[in-house]
Amino acid sequence: MTEWWDYGLADLLLFSPRVYYRLFETMNTTWWLVVASALIAGLIASGLALRHGFRGNRVILVLLALVWAWSGYGFLWQYYQPINWAVPYLLPAFALQVVLFAIFAARPLPLRFGWRGDLSCYVGASLVAFALIVYPFIGLIEGRDLVQAEIFGSAADPTALGTLGFVLLSRGTWRWVLLPVPLAWCVISAGTLWVMDQYVAYLMLAAVWVTVFCGWLDLKNGVTTKRLTEAEIRDPAA
Amino acid sequence: MSEFDRRGFLKASASLGALGLLASGMPAWAQGSSDARASEVLQKQIPSTGEEIPAVGLGSWITFNVGRDIELRNQCADVMSAFFDAGGRMIDSSPMYGSAQDVIGYGLDKLGARDRVFSTDKVWTAGDGAEQIAETSDRWKVEQFDLLQVHNLLGISENLPLLFRMKDEGQLRHVGVTTSHGRRTEDLIAVMKNERLDFVQVTYNPIDRKVEDYLLPLAYDRGIAVIVNRPFRGGSLTERLEGQPLPEFAAELEAKSWAQLILKYLIAHPAVTCPIPATTKPAHAAENMAAATGPLPDEKMREQIAAVIGVLV
Repeated sequence: MTEWWDYGLADLLLFSPRVYYRLFETMNTTWWLVVASALIAGLIASGLALRHGFRGNRVILVLLALVWAWSGYGFLWQYYQPINWAVPYLLPAFALQVVLFAIFAARPLPLRFGWRGDLSCYVGASLVAFALIVYPFIGLIEGRDLVQAEIFGSAADPTALGTLGFVLLSRGTWRWVLLPVPLAWCVISAGTLWVMDQYVAYLMLAAVWVTVFCGWLDLKNGVTTKRLTEAEIRDPAA
Repeated sequence: MSEFDRRGFLKASASLGALGLLASGMPAWAQGSSDARASEVLQKQIPSTGEEIPAVGLGSWITFNVGRDIELRNQCADVMSAFFDAGGRMIDSSPMYGSAQDVIGYGLDKLGARDRVFSTDKVWTAGDGAEQIAETSDRWKVEQFDLLQVHNLLGISENLPLLFRMKDEGQLRHVGVTTSHGRRTEDLIAVMKNERLDFVQVTYNPIDRKVEDYLLPLAYDRGIAVIVNRPFRGGSLTERLEGQPLPEFAAELEAKSWAQLILKYLIAHPAVTCPIPATTKPAHAAENMAAATGPLPDEKMREQIAAVIGVLV
């Protein structure tokens, strides 16, 4: 008899693009101040992450924890969950990501943001810029109104994409811990968007592949294997 | 096919005869009759109980999953209003369809239409079916469902006995099982042969015709009412036909759109009780219901419809 694994991807898509993008319209108009604040938080975090040797590690991590918390509660729980019964199963992953950012922010763990000038940095900066600046306007190409824009810090997709970029802009042996949740979200969301015939699905998958590739490159080049010195951990400006 | 009366079924199919005459050669439950309130809408009998229901229903997959958006909820209520006004009764949903059950409950509240609806839902869990049915009932705000079905045969060994028990205790009026996309045919056939089902729900349209070979004749022979899901292949079929001129014979059937032609194709089948097209537009709900009025195609014309659509898509 039928079991859960008999279902295909298309069977599990239970809403239309019209309803999906209305979620962002309703959230943007209802919570506009929080949405704008979350975007500003992302812009501040990106400014800090791109500066070499700035003491912004903890600020970046706290801001990323906050936007993930808001995206999980505001978008996933308040708006997405009523049309997608799978959301309650995904929310713990968002909570985990918040906890991870909080742990990294609270303890002197070996993670440090900063511009290194290598390929991963360029890719990371591009992903952050894409998520913060370009992604909200993608809907215009599909003919959607700007009020339905998916904005970093609130909408889950650009938040996950931008987070991949932030992680690539960091270094340290524990960096990889911050990757599984945003990577998994990008894959899940790409599946949803693909079933809805949204071309942005391919961009989500491309971001996953390029992040995994850069992660491998960094591993090879020692970016994620070379331990930070005690001085670097205690004093990020060192 | 030898296990049931294929000859009788084929005879019934062939004897659709002249346009608009579903009656000849068919058992009483497969014949149509008119309901005074619904004026000309064709009614079909549920074989197991003899109760009549309009020959077109309303699905809610995707279209009614609009969350808490009040504007979209009101649009869904408008669809339901148009559907009821055109003589429709059966609305089908599932716990799998996100907020669709809540939205139907909202629409029924708004329209005060609980006495008009033939409430049709499903149990879709490998866990506690009774608990899920109670939640479903809360969402619809109905005390007794007209029909509950085991969705895609999931957890059928627990859920089907539960539904039969509910029916025996007067908590439920009809019991059914569903599949879609032609999945699990062998399992479905086994259930149809071995259980006293009132309804079965299958995917059927002029492109997906596999059920014509065995399932529909079996349902006919066993006296099981047939609900048809995905009559427009989730909308992709009518989208692909959009802009294409209707064949000349559509005028004879008083079909003014491809959607109506497809629905007429379906409800003219002697084993089919009720296709359940879904829509977001009130005008389409009324148009779909109108397919259950006027002449219906005979078997030869049904083949023509399938052939024409097969060429175009």
